[in-house]
Amino acid sequence: MLHYAQIWFASARYSITRTLMFRGDFFVWAFVELFWMAVNLLTISVIYEHTGSIAGWSKYEMILLVGTSLLIQRFLMGFFWSSIFEMGRNIRSGHFDFFLAQPGNVMFMATTRKLDPDSLVNSLIAAGVVIYAARQLGLTPSAVEITLYALMIACGVIIHYSILVLSISVAFWMTSAQGIEGTYFTLTEFSRLPRSAFKSRATQWLFVYALPVVVVSNTPANALIRGFDGRLALWLAGAAAAWFALAVFVFNRGLRRYASASS
Amino acid sequence: MFAVLAKYRQAFLVGLQSNIVYRWNFAVRGFFSLFHLAVVVILWSAAAEGRTELGGFSLNQTITYFVTLLILQFFISAFNEDYQISEEIRNGLINQFLLKPINYFAYRFSIFVAARLVSGLLVFAPLLIAFPFLREYLDFPADPRVYALGLPAMIMSALIQFSIAYCFGMLTFWFLEIQGFVILSMAVETILGGQMFPLDLLPAWAYAIAKWLPFYYQMYFPAAIFSGRITDPAVIMQGYAVQAAWVVALLLVNHALWTRGLRRHTAVGG
Repeated sequence: MLHYAQIWFASARYSITRTLMFRGDFFVWAFVELFWMAVNLLTISVIYEHTGSIAGWSKYEMILLVGTSLLIQRFLMGFFWSSIFEMGRNIRSGHFDFFLAQPGNVMFMATTRKLDPDSLVNSLIAAGVVIYAARQLGLTPSAVEITLYALMIACGVIIHYSILVLSISVAFWMTSAQGIEGTYFTLTEFSRLPRSAFKSRATQWLFVYALPVVVVSNTPANALIRGFDGRLALWLAGAAAAWFALAVFVFNRGLRRYASASS
Repeated sequence: MFAVLAKYRQAFLVGLQSNIVYRWNFAVRGFFSLFHLAVVVILWSAAAEGRTELGGFSLNQTITYFVTLLILQFFISAFNEDYQISEEIRNGLINQFLLKPINYFAYRFSIFVAARLVSGLLVFAPLLIAFPFLREYLDFPADPRVYALGLPAMIMSALIQFSIAYCFGMLTFWFLEIQGFVILSMAVETILGGQMFPLDLLPAWAYAIAKWLPFYYQMYFPAAIFSGRITDPAVIMQGYAVQAAWVVALLLVNHALWTRGLRRHTAVGG
C-alpha cells in the first residue's frame, strides 16, 4: 500500500513539475474547464427565468446538483482522465508495453500516471458552487453529513472511473475504436438531471439503474438537501464496488489479449 | 471560370470519397447525439411541467428547435476542420498549395462541403430510429416559405462555421497547439450559438447583445427560422444583413491571417 502511495506521489510530483514548465497551457486549460462549468450553470439560470421548478427541484437545488456532478467530473478529470485517455492510444500504438514493465499493478500504473492540476484547481471552484448553492438554500450540514457527502462523491468518482476504464478497454479488442471516450461525455450529461425528471420506465431503468450516472450525482446532492438516505447510499457504495470489480475484470481480460505492436 | 470551378469540383469529389470512408464514425456520432436529445427532452419536459409555454413557445416548439439544431449541426458545423488545417500547416502539407494555382481556403471549403453532405445525410439514420419517440414532440412550421427563408441563413451559417474553424487552424502559424483555444471558443459558441437553450430565452438585454455577435449567426439564426421561432420577415431580412456582414468580416480576417501566417511559415524538405 505504502509502495503504491510512493509511486503515486512520485507521479504527482512529476505532473506538477510539468505543469510549472508549461504555465501558459495550465491557464488556458483551467479557463477551458471554467468556461464549460459556466456554460452549465448559465443554462440552469436561464431555464429558471422561465420556470419555477424542474421535476420538483428549485433553482439553487438544481445548482447544487449540477455543482455536485461537476465536482465528481473534475476529480475524475484531475486524477485519471489524461492517463486513461492516453491508455487507449498506447494500446493501439504498442506504447502500452511501457506500463507492463513497471513494478506494480498494471491498471494502477496505467490509470494514475498523470495528474491534471488545472482540473484539480477547478474542483475547488465546483466545490465553491456547491457551497454557494447550499448557503442560498440555508443548509447547515453537520460534520458527519459533510463527511458522508464526501464519501458519496468518492463512490461517484469510482463509478465514473470504472465506466471510463471499461469503455477504453474496448481498445484491447477493437483497435479501431477511436473516439470511444466521447461516449463518456454523453453519459455525464445525464448526471446533471434530477432523478425525478426520468418519467418513463425505460429511461429510469437505463440511466438510473443500468448505468448509475444519475444516482451518482443525485444521491449526494439529495443527502445535503433532503437528508441522508441510508438505503440509497448503500446502493451507491454497492454500485461502486460492482462497477470497479467489473472494470478490473474486463481490464485484465483485455490485458491477456494485448499483443503489443511490431517495431 | 469553369476551369477554376473544375479544380474545386475535384477537391469536392475527393472529399466526398474520403468522408464516405468515415461513414461509420459519423453514424456512431449521430447515434450518440440521440442521447443528447434524450437529455434535452427530459430536461425541458420537466421544466415545462404544469406550464403551457416557456418564453412564449410551447414545449413541442422547444423540442423541435433542438431537433432542428441537431440536424443543422451535421449539415453545417465544423467538426474537426480546425485540427485538419492545423495538422496540414504543422506537417508542411500546405507547401504543395503554395506552388500551385489553388486557393487553400477554397480547397478546404470544398472538402468541408463534401464532408457535411455526407454527415448531414447520415444523421437522418439515427433520427429515423428515434422518430417514433420524437413524433409527438415535433411541431415544424407548415408554411413552405419558412424553409425558403431559412436556406440562405443556413448557407451563410455554414460559411461562418467554416471561417471560424479556418481562423483557428491559421493560429497554428503562431502557436504549436490550438486545442485549448478551440475548446475554449467552443464553450462560448455553445452558449451564444444557442445550443444549450434557445437564445430568445435570454434576458432581453443579453439577447440584444447576442444578436450582434457572429455566434448567433453560426447556428441559432437558421435554426430559429426553421423551427418557427423567428417569423417576422423584417427581422429575418435584418438578420441576413448582419450575417452577411459577418461572413465578409470573417473572410477578410481569414485572408489576413493566411498572408501574415505565410510570412512566418518555413517550408522544409520536399
